[in-house]
Amino acid sequence: MTDSAPMLDRGQFSKLFPFHFILDGDMRILDTGSVLARICPKVVPGAAINDHFLMFRLASEPVKSLSRDFILRQQSTLFVFKSTSTDLMLRCQVLILRDPERYLFLGSPWVRNPTELKALHLVLQDFALHDSTVDLLQLVQATSTSLHDAKQLSEKLEQRVADRTAELVLANSELSRVMRSKDDFLSAMSHELRTPLNAILGLSESLAEGVYGDMNVKQVKSINTIAESGHHLLALINDLLDIAKIGAGKMELELTNTHVEDVCQASLRLVLELAQKKNLKLALSMDNKSVMLTADERRLKQILVNLLSNAIKFTPEGGSVTLATTCDVESESLMFSVRDTGIGIAAEDLSRLFSPFTQLDSKLSRQYAGTGLGLTLVLRLVEMHGGSVTVESEIGKGSCFTIRIPCKGLDTLIPHNPSGTTTLSEITSIQELPSNTPLILVADDNEINLMTVTDYLRANKLRVIQARDGLEAVKMVREHAPSLVLMDIQMPLMDGLDAIAHLRADDKHTTMPIIALTSRAMVGDRERCIAVGANDYLSKPVNMKQLVKTIHTHLTKDETR
Amino acid sequence: MHGMINKSIEDLVTIKFGADKWEAVKKKAGVTESAFISNQSYPDAMTYGLVGAATEVLGLTADQVLYAFGEFWVTHTAFKGYGDMLMSAGRTIGEFLDYLPLFHTRVALIFPNLKPPRFECSDRHADGITMHYFSDRPGLSMVVVGMLNGIGQLYKTPVVVTQSKFKDKGADHDEFVVTWGAVDQK
Repeated sequence: MTDSAPMLDRGQFSKLFPFHFILDGDMRILDTGSVLARICPKVVPGAAINDHFLMFRLASEPVKSLSRDFILRQQSTLFVFKSTSTDLMLRCQVLILRDPERYLFLGSPWVRNPTELKALHLVLQDFALHDSTVDLLQLVQATSTSLHDAKQLSEKLEQRVADRTAELVLANSELSRVMRSKDDFLSAMSHELRTPLNAILGLSESLAEGVYGDMNVKQVKSINTIAESGHHLLALINDLLDIAKIGAGKMELELTNTHVEDVCQASLRLVLELAQKKNLKLALSMDNKSVMLTADERRLKQILVNLLSNAIKFTPEGGSVTLATTCDVESESLMFSVRDTGIGIAAEDLSRLFSPFTQLDSKLSRQYAGTGLGLTLVLRLVEMHGGSVTVESEIGKGSCFTIRIPCKGLDTLIPHNPSGTTTLSEITSIQELPSNTPLILVADDNEINLMTVTDYLRANKLRVIQARDGLEAVKMVREHAPSLVLMDIQMPLMDGLDAIAHLRADDKHTTMPIIALTSRAMVGDRERCIAVGANDYLSKPVNMKQLVKTIHTHLTKDETR
Repeated sequence: MHGMINKSIEDLVTIKFGADKWEAVKKKAGVTESAFISNQSYPDAMTYGLVGAATEVLGLTADQVLYAFGEFWVTHTAFKGYGDMLMSAGRTIGEFLDYLPLFHTRVALIFPNLKPPRFECSDRHADGITMHYFSDRPGLSMVVVGMLNGIGQLYKTPVVVTQSKFKDKGADHDEFVVTWGAVDQK
């Protein structure tokens, strides 16, 4: 077998292993590589290795001096030598040469970065090309540079985030300030607007009532238009004020344990007349009538009235509007749904629905009067209750607005309708009261007066029908034969005095009690009313308790007659 | 292109002309990077775009920009990132230039996706050497001239660089004859 191992001369060997050294059996230097000889000039042939190098961190034995026995025992270990005079560390592998026995240590310096290289007075050319030390050094340097770049980039980004955050904080603060200013301005302006408006409304009413003298029909019509516009403006201002209050965080809910059915009934009563004018069927459906809700009763009513008014406004004559409540035990919430058979809303418009001053179509805006703030207010008030609003709608088929308000303890309720059928109680002008309950006709051309008196009488268990002028009053009496008539005096078409006279001229109504209600508190007014046939006379503003007491007095008299 | 090249263009423009000029260069080149990572690979088109934009924004010729960039790359950017390593590549400018081909071979080994240029040396003598530059990237010979001058500055040894072969005139590579003073300073 031919020995194919290359025979190298000393120079070739030193080029391949510039840091090698060879020891004899006494651990003395026989030869060294060219670079080792340069950087350790005292490590020359004849020098004892243990005088110049200590063994560093041996794997198995705490031996610092090199010996023949140790070499023979540890041939397969990695030898690491630390120079006693410099920072040089050599990592070597040993080979035992024979005849004579010598020990060849092959390796290169242990360096972890280019700075250490410099400290050892080494350059890259000192390493053999096959030695990967230089590649590793270059890799270490590249990695270190990349890390440095990444750190710089990270710092740059952190700075940008910090700058951006600071800008946002500043912008937010400015925005908050502007919002507060806007709310303060709205609030102040609304108050300022309300003051003269009160005068406009009050004086319009006085003019319509004839306090400043009689007016012809055209004048009355004009003054009523002024009053109507004033009331609309007042509603707008009130909504604006509420929204501004919520925006400024100044609105606080007065949370009480609220009987839901009462609130629903009260809300429906408030919109009843509007529904009647359009001949709409108004209904209430509750899956449990005993449910109680922690809510601000006044605001809850405001929410429902807003939704109901909207539903009525956008539902054509002959349609229906239903208020339904559903207990959702699983999500511990109570749902109020207002469903109508109205004109509906296009899907693409649903997202704009709750923005302030939004009426989806300018044509609609003209056709259906409104502040454009109602739904915004509904949303804000519901959110203040911790709830949410959703809407489903289809053009031409109607809409359903659902509000969901958190409600604890639903699981402890006794089911009102165990069979699952819902109760539908239709709300009509002559309500659920027994038919033998006294029926009162309230004749007044002022809607607010009409509503106020109607609500109060209904709350006192009296049935109520309404008329808005003298002619209608006479007609209603003939159709319904009420138990008692409350007759305003200053009304269009036929005033109260003429209406009383007409009724008394009819034999069927000579004994029916008629109470005249008027703001004309001039000398002789009472006498004029009594003279045409009124049984009693009350001047406005009327005390409601006094009114009910007077009504009952006359009803009792009538029964005993 | 090696991220350090783009980083170097950024540093050159920022330090010599101001941060606002660098933002203008980036904007003109359509570059949105906040910063470059040295050993990351970026599209060559980005680097060429930055150089082109720099000529317009700074009102310099392309050769002036490329030369300045090459010189700056050695004296600032590479020195900042690889200073000890660079200075370990030779005790003299001659040793350094002789080592340059190997240096690039190692870069190619460590970052196989970077495609660094290839150098060869010939005609070594005490006060000069001939450098052969092989690259697929066109139009960058002035960068090499700038770099060779920058290396001379690192070794405090003024050099004269003469391009003797031009790839853009039909040669298979660019060739530079580099000469310096009789005595190395280092």
